[in-house]
Parts: sequence; C-alpha cells; structure tokens
Amino acid sequence: MSKEYWWASESFWRKNAIWITAGSFLVLIFLTFDTVSQITAGGKRVPGYAVINHRISYEFDDTRNFQVPVIGVEEPLFGQKLTEEEAQALVTRGKLTTQAKNCMNCHTLLGNGAYYAPDLTKAWLDPSWGTKEVREELMVEFLMNPQDRLHNGLGRRMPNLGITEDEARATVAFLKWMASIDTNGFPANFVSIDQEN
Amino acid sequence: MTALGKIDSSNLNGGQKLAVKYFSVAVVLFGAQVLFGLLAGLQYLNPDFLFGILDFSVNRMVHINAMIVWLLFGFLGSVYWLLEDESGIPVVGLKLGNLAFWVLTLAVVVVVLVYLLVQVGAGSHASIWLINEGREYIEAPRWADIGIVVCVLVFFYNVAATFTKGRFTGVGGVLVLDLVALAGIYLAGMWFTPNISIDQHWWWWVIHLWVEATWEVLVGCLMAYGLMKTLGVRRKIVETWLYIEVALMFGSGILGLGHHYFWIGTPEYWFTIGGFFSALEPIPLVAMVVHAVFDAGHHKIRSTNHPALAWIIAQAFGNFFGAGVWGFMHTLPQINLYTHGTQWTASHGHFAFFGAYVTMVIAFFYIAIQKWRGNVWMSGGLVGAWKWKWALALLHIGMLTMTMALLTAGYEQSQIERAIEGSSWAGYFAAQGHHWFIQGMKWRQIGGWIFAAGFVLLVWDLMTIGRRETQPAKSLAE
Amino acid sequence: MIEPVALKDFFLTFFSAAMVIMTGGLYALLFAYSRVKSRPGLMPLAYAAYAGLFASVLALAYAANLLNHGFWIGIVLLMLVGYLLAPHAIWHLCVGTHRDELAADAEPAEVFSTAVNSREV
Repeated sequence: MSKEYWWASESFWRKNAIWITAGSFLVLIFLTFDTVSQITAGGKRVPGYAVINHRISYEFDDTRNFQVPVIGVEEPLFGQKLTEEEAQALVTRGKLTTQAKNCMNCHTLLGNGAYYAPDLTKAWLDPSWGTKEVREELMVEFLMNPQDRLHNGLGRRMPNLGITEDEARATVAFLKWMASIDTNGFPANFVSIDQEN
Repeated sequence: MTALGKIDSSNLNGGQKLAVKYFSVAVVLFGAQVLFGLLAGLQYLNPDFLFGILDFSVNRMVHINAMIVWLLFGFLGSVYWLLEDESGIPVVGLKLGNLAFWVLTLAVVVVVLVYLLVQVGAGSHASIWLINEGREYIEAPRWADIGIVVCVLVFFYNVAATFTKGRFTGVGGVLVLDLVALAGIYLAGMWFTPNISIDQHWWWWVIHLWVEATWEVLVGCLMAYGLMKTLGVRRKIVETWLYIEVALMFGSGILGLGHHYFWIGTPEYWFTIGGFFSALEPIPLVAMVVHAVFDAGHHKIRSTNHPALAWIIAQAFGNFFGAGVWGFMHTLPQINLYTHGTQWTASHGHFAFFGAYVTMVIAFFYIAIQKWRGNVWMSGGLVGAWKWKWALALLHIGMLTMTMALLTAGYEQSQIERAIEGSSWAGYFAAQGHHWFIQGMKWRQIGGWIFAAGFVLLVWDLMTIGRRETQPAKSLAE
Repeated sequence: MIEPVALKDFFLTFFSAAMVIMTGGLYALLFAYSRVKSRPGLMPLAYAAYAGLFASVLALAYAANLLNHGFWIGIVLLMLVGYLLAPHAIWHLCVGTHRDELAADAEPAEVFSTAVNSREV
C-alpha cells in the first residue's frame, strides 16, 4: 500500500474543518460585537427613537457616493414632541404592530420580506403622500381603512387588518424612525416628498 | 417476514420506523407548500381572489413556513433513518424521540390552524407569543419556537447519545456538531426588539446560517451516508471528503453572511466581506464538479435504487445552477443594490431551495420506501418506472418555468422600479404593471401547475413504487 | 466604496456573472474529464473554457465598476488566479485521497461494480 500524503489525510482535513469553522465563527463574533454597537439605536448608523421629533430627509452624500438620511429641523410627529423614552415606547408599539399584522409577508422592510406590495424602507418619504402637511394623517387613515382605497391600476389592495388608531399612529412613528436608518444608499435614486417649508 | 413489495414496518429498525413518520408528515407539508404557493401566485393574477378571506400575506406565510418545516422534517427523518446503521446500535431514547415527533407535529398543526383562522392580532406581545411573530420564515409564534427548540434538543439527545454509546463515526461527529449549531442558532431569532436593524441582523443569523451553512453540512452528511449505502464508496474516502466539504462550506458560508448585511443598516465593511466571500462561492462547486467526474471516471456507477440516484444527481445540478449560477448573478453589492427585495430573490430562492434541499429529501423518500417494502427491486426494468421519471421531469420543468418567469419579472423590476424610479410607491406599481412582469406572473403560475402535477405524480409513485415487484434488490456486498 | 452598476450595464452584469460560474464549471468538468480518461487532447478545450472564464470575469469587473478601486481589483485578481488553480488543487486532492483505492485497482472486487444484474439497463 502506498504512503499517504499528509495533505490528503483524513486527520489533516478533520483538523482543518474544525479550525476553519472555529476561526470563521470567531471572526463573525468579533464583527458582530462591532456591528451591533454601530446599529444600536442612538449609535452611529441607527438614530435614537426621539429622531421622530425631527425632519428626516434622504440626500446624496458625495464622499460616500450614495444617498444618506439627514436629520433636520425639529418637526415633531403629530405635532407632539416626545422624550426618548416616550418615542421608544411608541416605536416599539409600531414595530409590534408590523409583526402582529404580518406586514412582511406582502411588503419588504429594508428590502427583506415579500414582494406583493411596495418596500417600506422610505415609506415615510414617499411622494405618494402628496404634501408633508397631510402625510401623517393620510398614513393613519390609510392604515386603518386601506381596503377600499384606490392604490394602483392593478386592482391590488391592502386588506383591512383591524389596525386601531393608536396602532396606526405607532406604526407611522416606526416608519418615520426606520427612514432615518443609514442603509448604505438603499434604495438608490429615491426621490423624496417635498419637505421644504 | 411478509411478502416482498408489501409495506411492512418489520422491515425497518427502530430509528427508521420513526423516520417514516417524519417523512409522511413532510410529504403532507410539501403538499401544503405547493397548494398555498398556487393560491398566492393566483393573487398576483387576480388580486380579488380570496381577498379578505385568505390574503396574500397568509398564503405566502403558509407557503414559506411549510417549506421550512417539511424540509426540517425530512432532515430529521433522514438522520433517524441512518442513525442505527451508522452507530451500530438501536436509537437511545427512542420513546422520547417518538413523543417529540407527536408533539412537534401537533404544534405544527396548531400553528397552521392559527395562521389560517386567526391570521393577525393586535400590536402587542401577546400576538407574537400566540399568533404570529411576523418575521419572514420564522413566523411561528414564540410558544412554538420554544416547542421547536425542545423537540430539536430531544432529537439532539437521540443522535448524540446513540453515537456516544455505539460507534462514533466521522459522519456521526460532524452530524452532532452540526446539530449543536442548528439548535443554537435558532435561539438568535427568538427575542423581540423595536430596532429593525438589530432584528434583521439576528434574523439573518437564523436564516443564512441555517440554510447556507448548517443545512448544507447536514445534507453533506446525508450524502456521505447515501454514497456509502447506495454506491458502496469506502468510508475513509467519504469521510475525508466530508471534512473537506465542511471546511469549504463553513469557510465560505459563515462569513458569507456578509452578503445579507449590505442594506439593513449594518456598516459598510460588510461590502468588502460580502464581496470577498461571494468570490469564494464558486470554489465548493468546482470541487464538487471535479470530484464527481473523478469518481464517475474510476467507478462504474450501478445503483440498487434508480429513483434515489436520479434525485441525488438532480441535487448536484440543482445546487450548481440554483445556488451557484442564480446566486452569483446578483450577489455583488454593485448590482444587489437593485435586485435586493425584487422577484430576483424569489427566482433564486425557488431554484436554490429546490435544487439543494428538496431533491435530497426526495432521494431519501425513495431510499426509505425501498426498504419499507422489504428491500424490493428498484433498478432497471422496474414496473411502472414511468411514474418516477415523469414526476422528476414535471417537477423540474415546473420549477425551471417558475424560475425563468420570476427571473424575467425581477430583471424588469430591478430596472424600472429600482434603477429608474428609485423604489418609490409609484415606481413599484409601474414595474408591477409592465407587460414583462405580468407575463412573468402568468408563466410562473403555469410553472406552478406543472410542478403541482409533478407533486401529485410523486406522491402516487411513492405510494405504489415496487408494489408489484417480486424480486429483491441485489445488495452491493453480494 | 462601491460604484453601483449603470442601468445600461445590467444585462452585461447578470450575463457575465452567470458565465463566470458556467465557464468555471465547464473548465472544471473538461479538466477533470481529460485527466480521468487520460485524454490530453481535451485539455486545450478545458483551457479554452478558462479563457471564457477569464473574459467573463473581466466583463463582470468592467460592468460592476470593480476596476476603479483597489480592494475590488484585488477581488478580480483573486478570481482570475483562484479559479485557474482550483481544479488543479482539487484534482490533486482527489488523487491523494483515493490512493488506497487506486492502488487496489488490481483486484476487480471494486465496491461499485457488484450490483450487476441481467435486468440492469
């Protein structure tokens, strides 16, 4: 029987499999700590929840070569300025609503979900809401009674999911907050609703 | 022993008796996946269909959940199938394993009934604990998550204890470590946070690390066993290659997670990590091609189970095209910016799940049915062989039709909705109304019907194959 | 830093990326087949497939604007060299891991060839 090459032996590859797996996993853990610290609300890339007290826009950044969210002048949601705790409670309620109503199985959020309805990453900034003065109330009304509104020429509609007014307002808060996340330029070429005074 | 060709559980060992239970539920859930996929597809063509009764969100949720669960049942069953053979002793704690099977199955039934009958809840923690967690693929409410983890732990106990008491082979070792990861990673998806970026960061741990790492390795273990059993390849070679595969899969797969971290709020360095590991993706495929040719050139492949071998070959092709070609086409961030979250993803998802996993589990169905009928003849000249051949053909034609149709739709969507219209609401609907998209959805539905026909034939074949055979399979050792 | 694909280059991006995998697979296939069947005549075909792979990688690099940034140039070079060498490396691994089996080729009791039966097609 011929001699076995060390690089083709079972034990060499067993060790390799273990070391490569463990090594990759360690690198992943290390990166996870860094990433999570950067995407914690109030961190570098994901603003604190009280950002909903401000105007949020999405503008091209020359140095990064894509659009980034910009936090502007004070423009409280529903005209009511909230503390960080109050804002967090509201966004939490909104996030719970998006989960309990299963939004993600028609829509995408940050591009993940289903493809039967529009992406919601920048829903807060969508020009379809007309003007910034009516946007908030339109969104609330729409969420509560979407089933008989004209959405599009395809006949595709959003069903009535029994969203209460409080839940709708919280959902709008969640959507406004989500629009402030730095998503590395996703979606690209997005043209926002006019928010200038 | 009863007559050859009769279904008789005395032909099976303890683990295998449990395996066929898992396989039976898996087939039923496979049917549910196809059915609810058809309903959801029809809603693209006629949005009023079942509107307000079974909305798209419900159908789509059942469609993708049924897939995850039936593949999981298929994998659990496959592992129980090989456990006694591989370890050389009866399954340790089989009674507990049986109990876990019934608990898991009951939980799945309750979860699906709640999905269909309750559908949505109020925006509160109670809803995500009891009704639906609303996170793609892992919608199962929290109580069911806990149940799943408990059942997987029982499964882990069965596997680990059996190998420990019996013979701890290389395949067994990889399997046990892989199951630790499988159970552990699921925990990453089991908590609520208002922060959608953190949410999706951990969500990808479950989805990517399950699907593109631990499942791949699990399939590698099943394949290794399959090669030893159906072709008689030597253990030492098979196990060495299993380790090589683990090194390649985990080496490119774990940090391959990076290609999901481009757009969810995570830092820009994930572009470089995602890009680098995307470039590595083809290496395991090249390894597979070279090794397959090497083996085929040195051995005459003769199998005792033609349908199973055909599905294993289909797995190699499906994995190459579905995961490899379809994945690489839009994995670089420079293009993924425009394809992320379009029908591109649906096209890749359909083809890759089918090619890499469905094919493998179906191969195990055939391995199981052969032994269940007393190791009946299932090679050339098999009575009624047209059924398995046509089932294989129809399932592939249906899947390819769906994949190509979704690809066309996604290509149009990436251009019109994403690049030109900038993903606005109006841009989304402009793309959805484009004739390429509408045609794509029609062809996808046609593909769906063909696939459904293939599924019906597959089930019929699984219930009847080998029934009228009178000859036993020749064993490889003879 | 990434520079997204321009609209006019979408098709080229998808097509060249698909061709990277297809030609890569074809190169591996022809390479291995040529070696396993001892048909060196096929080897030029294998390298023709690699030439296709080389062109596809460059087309992808052009379409996806990879050549304007140091890191991405590195990725392109890695692909060009890595995909060239990968089949060679895997082949050596195949030969190395199957040595025992190949040495035993003299005995025809090869595990594969035993399931012969008159009904075998």
